Amino acid sequence: MIEAQQLTKRYGSTVAIDRLSFQVRPGRVTGLLGPNGAGKSTAIRMVLGLDTPTSGRALVGGSPYRGLPHPLREVGALLDAGAVHGGLRAGQHLAWLAASNKLPRARVAEVLGRTGLDAVAGRRIRGFSLGMRQRLGIAAALLGDPPILIFDEPVNGLDPEGIAWIRGLARALAAEGRTVLVSSHLMSEMALTADHLLVIGKGRLLADAGLDELVGPAAGATLEDAYLRLTREAVEYRSAGVDR
Amino acid sequence: MTAVLHAEWIKLRSLRSTYLTLAVAVVLGAGLGFLDTSSVAHHWATMSAADRAAFDPVGDSFTGLVFAQLAFGVLGVLTISSEYGTGMIRTTLTAVPRRGRLLAAKALVVGAVALVAGELFAFGTFLLGQVMLASAHLDVALTSPGVLRAVSSAGLYLGVVALVGCGAGALLRHTAGGVAVMFGVIFLAWPAARALESWSYLPDKLILSNAADVLGQVHALAVKPRLPSLGLAYFDLLLYLAVALGLGAWRVSRDS
Repeated sequence: MIEAQQLTKRYGSTVAIDRLSFQVRPGRVTGLLGPNGAGKSTAIRMVLGLDTPTSGRALVGGSPYRGLPHPLREVGALLDAGAVHGGLRAGQHLAWLAASNKLPRARVAEVLGRTGLDAVAGRRIRGFSLGMRQRLGIAAALLGDPPILIFDEPVNGLDPEGIAWIRGLARALAAEGRTVLVSSHLMSEMALTADHLLVIGKGRLLADAGLDELVGPAAGATLEDAYLRLTREAVEYRSAGVDR
Repeated sequence: MTAVLHAEWIKLRSLRSTYLTLAVAVVLGAGLGFLDTSSVAHHWATMSAADRAAFDPVGDSFTGLVFAQLAFGVLGVLTISSEYGTGMIRTTLTAVPRRGRLLAAKALVVGAVALVAGELFAFGTFLLGQVMLASAHLDVALTSPGVLRAVSSAGLYLGVVALVGCGAGALLRHTAGGVAVMFGVIFLAWPAARALESWSYLPDKLILSNAADVLGQVHALAVKPRLPSLGLAYFDLLLYLAVALGLGAWRVSRDS
């Protein structure tokens, strides 16, 4: 489980995240949706201890991330595909990650196999396509066999086969009882991948609902319709707030 | 902590830049020492009395140290700045969220590698220089007074420079910026201190390259008031270490 409690992040007078509270539950894929600049990445960075909240807190499995003795065993995260050193070989990158969290060396070969990277393990990451880098990021996230997975924009740069693979992987991981949080702004992809959705706009939580509550016969809309309605209301709400 | 050390060791030994910087240090450093000592041995008979008086059989072997130290400094800078430059720091901090521990591990690993490489460099360069000087019977043995101390201190100094680079890289999070700082600390601080000599010799005594000069030779130093004493030179190393790593630790603890 991932939990945000009144999570707030200010940069000077700009509020990036505004008293955001939510829970991401195990056993299902939760989608994190929002326009560019809504605060998706900032929220994820705070969950992972990369940014310090101005106030409030984020917990993973009940603890703050920075307090975890072996975080890769608790949380696997795919950040943007650029978060690697191009001079390292794929196997070396996974080897240092495994060493840093005292994971058995055999895990490196296992995740290389699961992500289809066995053949390129000895190549420097510099020469990888964006799709290969995404797969390497997924391999790193799976390394510690963690109960919680966070994928930030995982389908960026992937071809249709890769997109289908990520979708299947996310659903399989959730079916194993893990907590899976996937951020994206691709509505059609989210409609196929997620069971539950968190929609944020301008740093606030706009919706925390099941896919079937937002989409389908009862809601009478596609996910894109629902998303545009939600985020438009957020903008108007903010304007009214500023004018007051 | 051992897990983080292991991880940082894998990174350092996997990167080509580690071998490149050390190779540059050896080629430039040992090469220049070789040229200097062979020149002295060749021209000793015709050298002026002043030049003969300035000759130091250990110090002249280390003529190339000034170039080697820049390479060692760059090695230290790169251990951190390359992580920020490539974005890998985000992956590193999710694996090792305790930032103080991360910097400590990086410093210990690069410091140990640089110390070992620095000592190998110092002893190798010294022995090569003595082989050259032997032809003019100017060589000294490692067992001569002060020689072992001078040679091992030159190696120690290279380890310290790498750690100062590590601190500069952590402080600036930028390779070019960190290298510029090392260039300033190693090369530009010296003329700046010279410019202040009419007021005080104190800046001269606190310059890292002057400390290196004092540590890496066996000459009597009392005749050179602008240089630090041997004790002060060792203190200089500690001072630079503390300031660089202290500033680096402060910056690493802050969000990127």
